[in-house]
Amino acid sequence: MGAKVPPRRRRSAFTKKDRLVLFGLVGIPTALCIALVVIPAILTILLSFTFWDGIGGLKTIHWAGFQNYRQIFTLYEAFPKALRNNALWLVFFALIPTPAGIILAYFVDKKLKGTNFYQTAFYLPMVLSLAVTGIVWDYIFRTNGLVNSLLGNTSAESAISWFGDPHKNIWVVLGIASWRHVGYIMMLYLAGMKAVDPALHEAAAIDGATDWYTFRRVIFPSLSAVNVIIVVVTVIDSLRAFDLVYIINRGRNGLELLGVLVYENIFGESSRIGWGAALATMLFLLSIIPIMIYLYQTFKKDK
Amino acid sequence: MTEITSGDVSRRTLLKGAGAVAGAATMGGLFSAGAGAASAFAAGKTVSVGSNQSDPAARKEDVAWVAAATKAGFDVKLNTVDHNTFQNQINSYLQGTPDDIFTWFAGYRMQFFAQKGLAVDVSDVWTKVSKNFTTGFKTASTGLDGKQYFVPSTWYPWAVMYRKSVFKAAGVDPAAIVTWADFINACKIFKSKGLTPIALGDKGGWEAMGTFDFVNLRTNGYKFHTDLLGGRASWKDARVQKTFKNWESMFPYQNANTLDLEWSDAAQLVLQKKAAMQVMGAFHASIYTDPADLADLALFPFPEINRANRRDAVEAPIDGYMLSKAASKNSANAKALAAWLASSDYSNAIASVSPTSLFANVNMPASDNPFVRQQVALVKASKYVTQFLDRDTRPDFAGPIVGPALQNFLKNPGDKVKIAANLQNQWDALPPA
Repeated sequence: MGAKVPPRRRRSAFTKKDRLVLFGLVGIPTALCIALVVIPAILTILLSFTFWDGIGGLKTIHWAGFQNYRQIFTLYEAFPKALRNNALWLVFFALIPTPAGIILAYFVDKKLKGTNFYQTAFYLPMVLSLAVTGIVWDYIFRTNGLVNSLLGNTSAESAISWFGDPHKNIWVVLGIASWRHVGYIMMLYLAGMKAVDPALHEAAAIDGATDWYTFRRVIFPSLSAVNVIIVVVTVIDSLRAFDLVYIINRGRNGLELLGVLVYENIFGESSRIGWGAALATMLFLLSIIPIMIYLYQTFKKDK
Repeated sequence: MTEITSGDVSRRTLLKGAGAVAGAATMGGLFSAGAGAASAFAAGKTVSVGSNQSDPAARKEDVAWVAAATKAGFDVKLNTVDHNTFQNQINSYLQGTPDDIFTWFAGYRMQFFAQKGLAVDVSDVWTKVSKNFTTGFKTASTGLDGKQYFVPSTWYPWAVMYRKSVFKAAGVDPAAIVTWADFINACKIFKSKGLTPIALGDKGGWEAMGTFDFVNLRTNGYKFHTDLLGGRASWKDARVQKTFKNWESMFPYQNANTLDLEWSDAAQLVLQKKAAMQVMGAFHASIYTDPADLADLALFPFPEINRANRRDAVEAPIDGYMLSKAASKNSANAKALAAWLASSDYSNAIASVSPTSLFANVNMPASDNPFVRQQVALVKASKYVTQFLDRDTRPDFAGPIVGPALQNFLKNPGDKVKIAANLQNQWDALPPA
């Protein structure tokens, strides 16, 4: 084809090699993304309108219409609980660990004595996988665990039920998740702050601004790109939360989360693929819509 | 994925642990019943066996029987998979490239895969080995189409576990606990002595199913229980409320924090003499590492609630083997090995490393371990044998729906009408099986 096409005036400055490299760098990841993310996502959405136990071929998949969705909303006791817990997780993360991480970054960046130590200490939880984190904290909070021992509650009878009491356990879990999230946000923010032109600091200082004022009015606004990442990370981490509660009690009894419900319904002998796919679709919409709106707004402003 | 969350998972593996602990029993010399006919086995076609026995004690049993089978002329390849992983991936495993033979459970869970065409009919194996099993075991190995799909290996009953010394110190005679009034009365005595009468941990969501099964069997009888779990009776039935009410009368005698404890945490309370009893499978014994403690362990049948039903039913889950659809390509060899798995040679190999295992094979000599003998007597005295809730009903109902519902009931017994109604609604919402 290429040979017969009359030579066009190239507007771009790309050489053939550039194009090849571009194609490789953009095309291959795009193809992989379509094959491994987009197509499965579309198939999941389609499956959410079916009944299927995961056994057998296409013939065994039966059309269900909106039945899965209708029943999830009307019958599935765990669903409203999971929705509430995910929402709580998001609000809590947005209000406490995320601002706390930013404030920590502010202090750590001031190069106090032992900054490196604090930096490492706060980031350390992030190095551990959530599954490991779950196991460690389980030993700390279980009825015969560290906290109850320190409080002198040695019998199962008098021990405080940190994980078994549905009014308490979600808060304990949010505390644990925050312990991890704070370090993450701090690190992201710190990386951003290191990249801020020192001239901004100097200019603000010459104008007589305090450190805190400089941070609020000069540094924070100049870090809008990092802020976008932090919002996205916070939303996604809140909605996809899974490992921690699954380790603690398989996400039951007050610790229901959408991610766990998806897993519980799809894996194991009890595959209800359609039902699980409907939950996954709702989780997907919940994560993607607010993020798309936010990103759209942000980048529109930038133009 | 982890050993902290147990699910139904640890039950079997820990049962195996129970066997390894009690050194007392001897299996009367490993005489060979000689059914192991490797003659039907064609050389060059290895039979692969997928096993969920990843727990060290259980793994030892696998190694023992594979060695015995190899000696008998079979060519076996054992693939042991982490127990939780095995359970979670069973569907894709059986549809993908499964091993010829795989470890599984009798009852509904067996029937489910048979019905889906993921298992091979082993009726012809049964005609050869049926003399090794009672009719009860044959029924438990039979699919809905009347054909056999399962070779049973071992089993264990559920009952009320207790320490003899604790009962003696409180002046309670376990043999005299027959009726519900006797049982509650004993609970009162233990409570007055400062003990927790009944230890319960239901963190995993499956542990309390055993108690539910027993209370329902005793209150409403075997027929209603199996009808209920089979979807032929409704959870909105007034009889279910009776069961919940009877169960609730145990609550004042249970430990607090039931949802924080795993079954083994609750069993520890009995071992440490802080609690008097636990309704559990015989694998309760697996946490008794000291032989002196183990000798103090005993059981009695779950008490009678409704005179009409006496104590005529017992839960006794059966473990064993099935042939996957992959075995149809290697049918002769897989079936030859399946027949050997049904022989005393197999059971003797297990017994050599696990002296308190209870075998499905009738030719195995009786154990002289008193705790094991109690288990056998318990099942012999029962008219009906059930498997366990998660083996007697649809898998998509038991784990994800009944488990959390019973946990909810333990927390909020006042909601029992709502809980039962919701169970029925969720049953109705299940896609046609």
